[in-house]
Parts: sequence; structure tokens; C-alpha cells
Amino acid sequence: MTTITYPLSRIEGHARVVIDIHDDEVFRADFQAMEMRGFSYYVQGIPAEQITVIVPRICGVCSTAHQVASVKALEDLFGITPPPLACEIREVLLLGQLIQNQATSLFIFTMPDRVNASSLFEIAETPEAKARQFSLAQMSLKIRKIGTDLISLAGGQFIHPIKTVIGGVTSSIPREKADAMIKTIEELLPMAVDLVDNYWQMSTEMVDRIGTWGDDEPTYYLASTEADSFRLNSKRLRVMCNEGRECHTFAPQEYENYLTIEESDYSYAGTSSFQGHIMRANSLARINLTNSFGTPKADAYLKRFGEAYGKPAHAILFFDLCRGIELVYALEKAKQMLETDLQHGEAMVRYAPRDGIGFGLVEAPRGPLIHRYEVENGLIKKADFIIPTVHNMLAIRRALMVAAKRYVSPEGISNELSRAVGRVVRAFDPCIACATK
Amino acid sequence: METPSDLPKFAVLQLSGCSGCEVSLLNSDEWISNFNLVYMPLVVSTHKLPEDIEVLLVSGGVRTDEDLHNLHKGASRSKKLIAVGTCALSGGIAQIPEGHISRESYLDSSHRLRLPSMLPRAYPIDKFVHVDLYLPGCPPTPELFITALKEAENARIASIVCQECGRKKLTNMRPTSISGPRSGTPDPEICLINQGYLCLGTSTRGGCGALCTRPGHACVGCRGPANPYLNKDPEFVLDNLRRVFTRMTDIPIEEINAALASPWLSLFLGQFTDYTQDQSLPQRTKEKMI
Repeated sequence: MTTITYPLSRIEGHARVVIDIHDDEVFRADFQAMEMRGFSYYVQGIPAEQITVIVPRICGVCSTAHQVASVKALEDLFGITPPPLACEIREVLLLGQLIQNQATSLFIFTMPDRVNASSLFEIAETPEAKARQFSLAQMSLKIRKIGTDLISLAGGQFIHPIKTVIGGVTSSIPREKADAMIKTIEELLPMAVDLVDNYWQMSTEMVDRIGTWGDDEPTYYLASTEADSFRLNSKRLRVMCNEGRECHTFAPQEYENYLTIEESDYSYAGTSSFQGHIMRANSLARINLTNSFGTPKADAYLKRFGEAYGKPAHAILFFDLCRGIELVYALEKAKQMLETDLQHGEAMVRYAPRDGIGFGLVEAPRGPLIHRYEVENGLIKKADFIIPTVHNMLAIRRALMVAAKRYVSPEGISNELSRAVGRVVRAFDPCIACATK
Repeated sequence: METPSDLPKFAVLQLSGCSGCEVSLLNSDEWISNFNLVYMPLVVSTHKLPEDIEVLLVSGGVRTDEDLHNLHKGASRSKKLIAVGTCALSGGIAQIPEGHISRESYLDSSHRLRLPSMLPRAYPIDKFVHVDLYLPGCPPTPELFITALKEAENARIASIVCQECGRKKLTNMRPTSISGPRSGTPDPEICLINQGYLCLGTSTRGGCGALCTRPGHACVGCRGPANPYLNKDPEFVLDNLRRVFTRMTDIPIEEINAALASPWLSLFLGQFTDYTQDQSLPQRTKEKMI
């Protein structure tokens, strides 16, 4: 038996892929998280109201989603309805995170695969290549920075946001700051569209070279955005079944009736399935479950994607293209929202804490994220984090099997397998820090 | 533009943490043209730490045996080592210290076949290797990264968070309980302590631009102790905080003590207290702090 271990880079956190081959046959492809963060243990016994500062530290990439999910879980538990203005500002915050995340995944994590480079920052040797590389890196970081700036504007701190608190947000968004942000988005949106078009083109060229978009069987899809309103500050989960129709919706409170979450012997991250079925979350799931974004450029991309690849679409590398569509949407939508009045009105309500059980749901960049807390005597008795990357674990494994089978034959193991492993994993954009309990 | 080989070799080693420090570093592009980035798995697909690294940033705490191995390797291959973020400085938020109610169940459940093993807790990196410069913060701002990389010798850092906050401290507004967070929108101009928040800005190292307190969230002390409290007994730091609250508020001392002992603050107060409680750690002098 041959066991090949592939260390992984250009993803969040420490993980590797292990493939076992026996007599030219692949019989196991595993995706393993290598560290255990321990947050569900660590938060036991802490005062409930303090958890919203702690849980963003689960992950510096998805911190915003964790913070908002945490606040929503306690609001559910305490019986608080935050004012509409606060909900709007939280949406802007989550859009900022979507921009930052999708730009990072597209340009920093996966674009190098399209040109066989080791990184976006790889300094080319010829002057022309160097200049091109440099401008691409600069543009990518500029687009990514819009996300960071939106997080700072709507969230206060730029990585572990603090403005979203139990009861609302601590402060609103002044007109002049919103206007400055609108101006930046207006200036840079054409550049973002160019980058996404370039990325799309590079992806099709890569697919011509390797001969596949990463074909795999259909799966179930899970998202908490609505078909005609792509709201990340979401309320319920939606499921698309194998045959491609929406077949279930459920509230975060009901997740245990639908999702089966199990630990794994070979990874610090567990797995999740929908009543035994493999499912996928993240960009492709959302796009498959979206009819319309309600912003012109993103809707044009949605139409183009559906016409080119069908709907629902299932190939693995479509996750990457869908991230591009969402990047454009989030830029357009953030601008729309900043044009409304986010300055005046009640931003935060008073509250009194109480004991009980609460659930908080948001659509994180990687899919629906649920926090569930049990509070007794004001302290966290139990906390569960239902993590989007975990929903994708079985799908990642199966996609790795498909890739491994493609590149392992009686003639040997193709060198392309190593690159394929990277492409498959990065298409799912897993987040390892989040995925371990 | 210079050729890559002219530029100093720069590497980023990530131990167990949240990647927030790396994301913050990426938020500034100023370093890109000053360094030849040779190792940073988050953004570069290289798996081998090269030799002759000029500057090595280490983020994350030492949580697994693999972390410890990589840390020793990185330290032996670099000229200058900078510890970045709360986890590298104190083990961080997920250290699960002795005495924590879930420590045993965590350690019991953290075994997997053929994977790195968890150490008894998450350790600060200077327990094991020499550190040339410390950059505290959760995470440090992009501006602080640039200061650490480019002008550490001449860095001028605000001594405490209050210096950069700009909220007015009032003598005639004395809260009687720590109920600020439950009381609706905070006044944007007035000190959060006056409004009943447990804000640690008075003792916490500045340089962050008071990012949290200005929009209305109490400082949790993520930058660790200001210079006067470096390497001081933890009680000295807590005493100082108690003095601030008794001077500025009418909150009963029992409530202040209970709040200061809360796990929320211990996350970051760990940075205040680790320095002196663990005798195996080297002295962290103010010259080494950004």
C-alpha cells in the first residue's frame, strides 16, 4: 500500500490530505485538520454576556460571522429584538466580510493555481512579468481592502469586530464616512469586475489545460440566503436535494432534526450530513439556491453562469467562479446600503439577561453558521458551534476521491495529482480554525 | 524595482492561532516591496522553512508537538524573531489553563490517530526560543506591523489606550454598577468608565488607535500591559485598575473585584500576568515591546 501525504497551503489553518493507494486503486482520500482549537470547551463556565468578545477569536478569517452569530444567539436567548438600523449595519458588516473573504480566496488563495505560481506575491524574473504580477497583486489587495474598510466602518475593530453588541450596534455610520466609502466602491468596482472577468478567463484556460471542472456527482446544497434576497444576516436554512429542487427549510432551532454531526478518528474536524446525505455549503450552494441578487452586475453574472454551466451546477471549480459573482454582488449591495440613512435612529436597545437556550444564525462566507448556547445562572453551560466547513467535509473527501482516481492509473501516479489536491481543497475554501470544536 | 535576491528574506510561521494576525499583515501592502516573502503557508505554497531568514514573524501559541518542532526550526534558521499577537505572547485565548472546568474533558478528547498531539496547554513562544521583538495585540493593527518591520528602533507608541481614545473623563458622572453594556447606546464623547463599562484602557498599552473604545466598546486589554506594568506582579496591575475604578466610580469594590477576575478579562489579562507568574519566561523589557 502507498500512502501519500500532501501538506496544504493557501488555505486557512493547518490541514493535510492523505491518499491511500493499493494495487493502483485509490481506496481512501482524507482531509485532516491538524489542530484542535477547543473553543466549545473553553467557553464553558464563562459569563454569557462576555462570549461575544471571545468567539470571534475562533477564527481571524471568519471572525465577523462568529461575532454576529454569537450576538444573535444571546439576543434569541434574552428575548431581545435589535432595532432595524442595527440589523442594516450588521448586514453591511457581513458584506464587508464577504468581500474580504472572497477576494482573498479568489486572488490570494486560488489565482496562483491558474498560472502555476506559488503565490500572488511571487516576484517574477522578467521585467514585463514582474510589472504584470505587481499590478495584479496591487489591484487584488485594493479590492480586498474595501472589505476590510467596510468591516472597520460597520464593525469598529478590523478583524475581531466590536460594534455589534447584544441589543444592537454601539454606534451608527455617519453620512460623511458612508459617502467616502461609496466613492471608493464606485472607483474600484470596474477594477473588481475586470479582475473577476480575468479570473473567469484564467479558469477556463486552466480547465482547457487539465480537461475538467472537477466533475463530481450532484449533492445536497445548504444555504441560509433567500432565493430572491441574498441577506447574510439570515433567518432560516434552505436545502436543495440531489435532483436539484429546494426540498426543505428549517429554523436554526431545528438543526438537530436535519443535520447529523459526527466526530472523526483521523481529523480534529468532524463531519456533517443532511439526514445521511452528503451536502455542500459555500458559494456554489448559495448560487444554486439564488434566483436573483437584485443588483445589476451580479444578476448579469448569475445569468451568464447559469447559461454556461446549467442550474444547479455541480462541478467543483464552479465554487471559485461563484465567489467572483458574490464579490461583485457584495460591492454593489454595500454601495446601495450605504446610500440609505445608516446614521439616524435607534441603534441599540436596553436589555436584561436571563437563562435559557438561544440560537444565532448567519450566512458566513463558507455557508450557514449557527451558534447554540445554554445559559444557567448567567454562565455558559454548553456552547455548540455548527460550522460551515464541517458541512463540506464529506463533500471534500468525495471530491478528493474523484480527483485521485483520475490521476492514479496502472501507469502510475500523475504529478498533476498534487496540484489537483490543492485545487479541490481550495475550491471549498475550508477554514480549519473554525472546523475544530 | 529591486530583484528578489536583493531583498531581505522574510517568513511568517503560524503556530496554533486564528490567522487574524496574518490577515492583519495582509491588510497592509507596504511590506511587499521591502521584503522577499519566502515562507507563509497562508499565502505561499511552500512547505519548507528556508535557511538564512532575515526576519521571522511567529504568530500563534505553542499548542501541539508539531508547533514546538516548527518553532525551534524557525528560530534556528532566522536572524531576527518577532513574536506577534496575544497567542504568541501568552498562549492566547485557547490556552485552557490549569483549573479550568473543561480542561480535562478537552485533553481527553484531543487524541487522533496519526495527528499532532496537544500539549498540556498553549504556551507563549518565549518559553522555548529567544525573541528579539514583541508585537502584542489581538491582532496588532497593520500600522503596528509596519512599525515593527521598518522602524522598531524609533517607534513612538502611545503609552495607554486613553491617549488615543479622546473620550472625556468626567468627575461628576459616577456609575454605581457595571451596567453600561445593558443600557442602550453609549454617549460618543464621554469616557466609557463614566458610563459604567469595565474598560481597561487606562492600563493597556496604546498604539492601536483606540479602535474599540472610540466606537463604544470597552477595551479588553488585548495589547497587554503598558510600560509601567511590564514584569510587575499581577496584583500590582489589578490594584491599579481597582484604583481607577474607585476614583472614577461608585461601583462596590466586590463587583469590581468579581469583574476583574472574570474569564473575559483573563484572556487578555493573561498577558498582564503571565509575564511574572511563570519564572521560566524571560523578562520582557520595554525596549523589546512595540
